[in-house]
Amino acid sequence: MKEQFLVKHAVGGRTFLDSDKTELTYHYEQAGASWVFSIELPQNETVEEILKWKEELNVFLFHTSADQPTKKIWFYVKDGPVDYDEGAGLLRITAQSRIEYVPDSFGFTS
Amino acid sequence: MIKVYPSAERHQVDLGWLRSRPSFSFGQYFDPANTAFSVMRVCNHDEIDGGRGFGPHPHSDMEVVTIVLSGQIKHEDNLGNAVVTEAGGVQRMTAGTGIVHAEYNASATEPLNLLQLWFMPRERGLAPSFEAKRYDESKLANAWLPVVAPEGSEQAAKIHQDMTIYMSRLDAGKQLSFEQKAGRSAYLYVIEGQLQVNNSSLANGDTARITDTPRLELAANAPTHLMLIDLP
Repeated sequence: MKEQFLVKHAVGGRTFLDSDKTELTYHYEQAGASWVFSIELPQNETVEEILKWKEELNVFLFHTSADQPTKKIWFYVKDGPVDYDEGAGLLRITAQSRIEYVPDSFGFTS
Repeated sequence: MIKVYPSAERHQVDLGWLRSRPSFSFGQYFDPANTAFSVMRVCNHDEIDGGRGFGPHPHSDMEVVTIVLSGQIKHEDNLGNAVVTEAGGVQRMTAGTGIVHAEYNASATEPLNLLQLWFMPRERGLAPSFEAKRYDESKLANAWLPVVAPEGSEQAAKIHQDMTIYMSRLDAGKQLSFEQKAGRSAYLYVIEGQLQVNNSSLANGDTARITDTPRLELAANAPTHLMLIDLP
């Protein structure tokens, strides 16, 4: 299974991070009712933009495999928190909700 | 103040199947000085080829309004709604805690022309919902017709924000006025035609962001199709 990780602006869909376009080291885990994403990033304009729009972020995981339709998992960050540890070079995004969907189950997919 | 944004200066997107004119930052078009006006975040004028559209994608905490100008749009969502709306119809989607939907041209051959508008809701965390309404297009003639309003009505979709979307069709030579209450804002879009608004002139595709103007006097120099949004 291939996994694509994305962080996008919820208003208009501007892409901040895309693991298909940029090599990213990240991991995620469930913490109670939340999901915490930790991404290794140097402090740069992308980090600044993510922090600027931290109340309007969407996080996605796209799971693609040869024998299954693509599954998309959408995490809505809402109130976060979203913070950046300069010393560790680590962006931490906490998401408040998770909705899973399969595009092929809709009448239109592209 | 009436600040006019000429159509010729508006960003353009052409993806082949989609021709879009966003009034605010959208997608990979990003202007940090143009991300909102009052609670308004998005105004896209889209023309979508037959059989094309936007596949499933999510929204949250946003009031999304689609006004069909010509053609037919089909909306499908994870709440089970599957609705086709044509010209003279309006869709309102409350994204709230989260909704996934697809929206696409319901015709395989005819183009679809629409306005899509996004507004921040009065509060976050609303229950997701969707509705479509049809209004009587004859009532647009030389009058303001509310098609989206906080209370909703038989012909107006209900929106979770202190705002109203009016549509109108002015005959050449006709006039219309609008009282802007203190502290409120208004967004004007000339879909087609030529219009004088107080001392400002607007034509096809021009928009205006209006503040601190107690009374608007609109006069059509040609048959004019327009939208006015009263905003907090």
